[in-house]
Amino acid sequence: MLYAMLENRLGKDLIIFDGGFGSELEKRGLTGIPEDLNITAAEEIKNIHRSYSCADIITANTFGLNPVKYHGAYSLRELAKAAVNNARAAGKPVFFDVGPTGAMMKPIGELSFDDAYEAFKEVATVSRDLCDGYILETFSDIYEIKAAILAFKENTSLPIFATVTFDSTGRTLTGSTPEIAANTLSGLGVDALGINCSLGPKELIPIAERILKCTSVPVIVQPNRGLPVLEDGKTVYKLTEDEFIESAEKLIEMGVSVIGGCCGTNPEIIRRLSGYSGQKVREHEYCPATAVNSANCVCIIDGVKICGERLNPTGKKALKEALISEDMEYLIDEALKQQDAGADLLDVNCGLPQIDEKALMPKIILSLQEYCDLPLQIDSSDSEAIAAAARIYNGIPLINSVNGDPEVMERIFPIAKKYGAVVLGLAMDKNGVPKTAEGRLEIAERIISTAGKFGIAKEKIMIDTLVVTASAEQELVKETVRALEAVRKLGVKTALGVSNVSFGLPNRPLLNRTFLAMAMERGLNMPILNPLDSEMSGTARAYELLAGIDKNAENYIEIYKDYVPSASRTVKAVKEEKTAESLYDCVRLGLKTRAPEMTERELESLKPMEIVNKILIKALDDVGKLYGEGKLFLPQLISSAEAAKAAFAVITERLPKDAEPKGRVVLATVKGDVHDIGKNIVKVVIESYGWQVTDLGKDVPVEKVVEAVKELNPFAVGLSALMTTTVPSMEETVKALRDEGLSAKIFVGGAVLNEETAEKIGADYYTKDALEMAKKLDEVYGTESAS
Amino acid sequence: MRYAEGLKMYSANFSDKEIILPQIYNYLGFRGVGRSEETDMLIDNALRELETLSQFNYIYKYFTALPEFLKKEPYLSYLNGAKGVIVCATTLGAGVDRAVNRYMRTDMSKGVVLDASASAYLELCSDKYEKTLGEDLSYRFCPGYGGSGVEDLPELFKLIDPGKIGISLNKSNFMLPSKSMAGIIAVGKGKKEEKSCKGCFMANSCEYLKEGKRCYTLCSKTGSEKI
Repeated sequence: MLYAMLENRLGKDLIIFDGGFGSELEKRGLTGIPEDLNITAAEEIKNIHRSYSCADIITANTFGLNPVKYHGAYSLRELAKAAVNNARAAGKPVFFDVGPTGAMMKPIGELSFDDAYEAFKEVATVSRDLCDGYILETFSDIYEIKAAILAFKENTSLPIFATVTFDSTGRTLTGSTPEIAANTLSGLGVDALGINCSLGPKELIPIAERILKCTSVPVIVQPNRGLPVLEDGKTVYKLTEDEFIESAEKLIEMGVSVIGGCCGTNPEIIRRLSGYSGQKVREHEYCPATAVNSANCVCIIDGVKICGERLNPTGKKALKEALISEDMEYLIDEALKQQDAGADLLDVNCGLPQIDEKALMPKIILSLQEYCDLPLQIDSSDSEAIAAAARIYNGIPLINSVNGDPEVMERIFPIAKKYGAVVLGLAMDKNGVPKTAEGRLEIAERIISTAGKFGIAKEKIMIDTLVVTASAEQELVKETVRALEAVRKLGVKTALGVSNVSFGLPNRPLLNRTFLAMAMERGLNMPILNPLDSEMSGTARAYELLAGIDKNAENYIEIYKDYVPSASRTVKAVKEEKTAESLYDCVRLGLKTRAPEMTERELESLKPMEIVNKILIKALDDVGKLYGEGKLFLPQLISSAEAAKAAFAVITERLPKDAEPKGRVVLATVKGDVHDIGKNIVKVVIESYGWQVTDLGKDVPVEKVVEAVKELNPFAVGLSALMTTTVPSMEETVKALRDEGLSAKIFVGGAVLNEETAEKIGADYYTKDALEMAKKLDEVYGTESAS
Repeated sequence: MRYAEGLKMYSANFSDKEIILPQIYNYLGFRGVGRSEETDMLIDNALRELETLSQFNYIYKYFTALPEFLKKEPYLSYLNGAKGVIVCATTLGAGVDRAVNRYMRTDMSKGVVLDASASAYLELCSDKYEKTLGEDLSYRFCPGYGGSGVEDLPELFKLIDPGKIGISLNKSNFMLPSKSMAGIIAVGKGKKEEKSCKGCFMANSCEYLKEGKRCYTLCSKTGSEKI
């Protein structure tokens, strides 16, 4: 029944939601867990709902009702029943109120996407037969609200409204902009999306304006009654009802479809708002865009956007090995290099015969999105891998790819629709790549119209008109660029894997960038290329300037303002060359980029171990001495350690195979402790002293430490804890290692440790900082070797 | 949903740099001998970055009746003579953690400096914001120092719901994002008080204290004061 009401009214006639609940509870002197009040003070709660009966939709008093946050006396089901029953007293449709779990999502926090999903699934299960819809509100993390939306969509068939909270910087508390929120929520297919809480109606106007511009989904706004102030020890909302209504009218004029109130709003405000109920929703400007986004970065495919290709193993031996051994460090470094080189989004492909893409792709996505801000392109021919990756992705991804084959489209389009992804369509089908531009255009049209049948709008489709190899099919190169032009007329954006054109020919870079220029002029939006090739990405940036896309040459000037036309181009490199005349200087001054080259130079006259003993150890000792005297600081100590580590890497390659390495150290920040900066510093410093380090990371379970020590048989284990509350966890780890009879020396450190605590928990050594640990390790190692 | 109290965003003025520099140096292990130009430059960049990266938010609630968890030492001593207490929490947001994590991979020196600068920056923003809350306010006292324990944080969280400004508490009572603080401020004591190291839970292992320094700098002063 309600759905019919929504279908008739939502987005057409203005709908009014109810107002603040917490402030009404306070007014009545009701304290304690708000959800429990549904049972312990049912009549009072009903009265609050009744006071809002002028609204079109009533929100149940269930904001904190989820298994992560709620730990009260009742079951979720009992409270859900009581809450909805209370809300029914107003005689209006009832939406179940769903707030965030209160736990922070990984990687900053500890709640995994799957755990968040399960929590919201439980909420859906206990409420779906009771309420008429869901209002997800006050979410500050688009990843968490994505988990919630999926949980409600997959476990109920009720309407879902989803609102996010922004602070006065215009970002959510996890850093997403209104555009990112709107693109993500629209993509996930909610019935209405918008903003609530934290700011007043006036402050929400500019944010609402930005959201309205990038979505065709009805927009809901539930402002606070301005910012509260403290007066005589009481929280007071100073915004008058007239002022609230005045700003609300502006929001309505702008094209908002649903309006209500959050903190501090009262029945009187909602009564006055209800006077607008049923008014026609105003039309608003909406610019459909082909947009993909991560949690912190949106990429609108327009002009020329560079898609980094370096995470695709085709023809890349090192990457292949990294994928097979699941070396995420390598992948993250590759991603960050491309980001720093100016890529706009990154292709991710792990398609190798020996790899289970469905299992690996989501792992890669999780690792990359922990460090890399750029939106990702999920590139696979395995639809299950695509689905798993799109599900876990924090934002709206690009899916690469479908083609004109109906079977492929039938597999991929439902995934794209469900997760709101943009899809790259290849202009080919079962019969291969059509020779002519017209043939490719026809397939492009087929892809776009089939997408439409799956409810996927044209702006969610991009077409790759497919690059052929000039050495094999020279005549067809121009068909590819002709096809670009034709496809652009269909109103979709285009892509090409540019460097394929030069395969088998000499001086490939020259052909690649010439072809890139040709293609951009004919309408190429997204070249997939190696962004570390500065000539290629430079061609794209130059084109944008010359084509008038880069207004006032701002971007171009920003990139090239320090341009020096020589091989050693960066200012930093030039500076380093001047100051570092020896390997000793490199380490002493912390010039890690120059260290390998200087090491090579020293190797011309010295034996590897001579370099270690005469140069590296001396330099590190000198640096350590200065640090101890307070004449040099932590950042420089780290740079020196990094430089020495780079030198060691070169030296290790030259050491005779039978030379005995110093040994291994296993490092971990103990279970429950999530701060690992100190441990990371220890890692680089002891590595600089020639130790091999296995870093188990932070929040490491006891068993994992034991397992690693058993397997690797290291010389020492280093455990770190920052807080008093995690010292017991360190003690458990030490005990478990002892119980297993493992011989590794146990070093402990961290802000709350001292000699005494270390002894008490059974560790062998306490060291106060990284440098002391490096020295102690060497000392103990020396003694052991001597005996 | 419906419980925001005194939520406000504040950006510290960049000219405040000189005030927090000694603090940042403290966090970086500075032991009182001269400043380094190189580190100054790294700090300078970190502070610039924080201006755009950080999302300072502050949430608080004023109580005239003493909340249950404060009815014990050392809170009672701290609150002695107060007319009321502000319970507060503040954060720079998750973006700072993200950036620090990233730099720890790509450029560790930058990461360490950003981390130290962010800690000092959060204190500066909070000190400045607290000045707008009223005249007769004591210094901020956070569970964890002065003989108190972070075990009190769950109770504090129940009172003001710092989740509203994006702070969560894990099982070990860590606040996330890591650049977050939660504490209390005595109101109406009628006399100005400053933080002290006596009885701090770090007192027997504190590297600063051993060297006659302390880990924090008050906003109004610079340099090393008596402990």
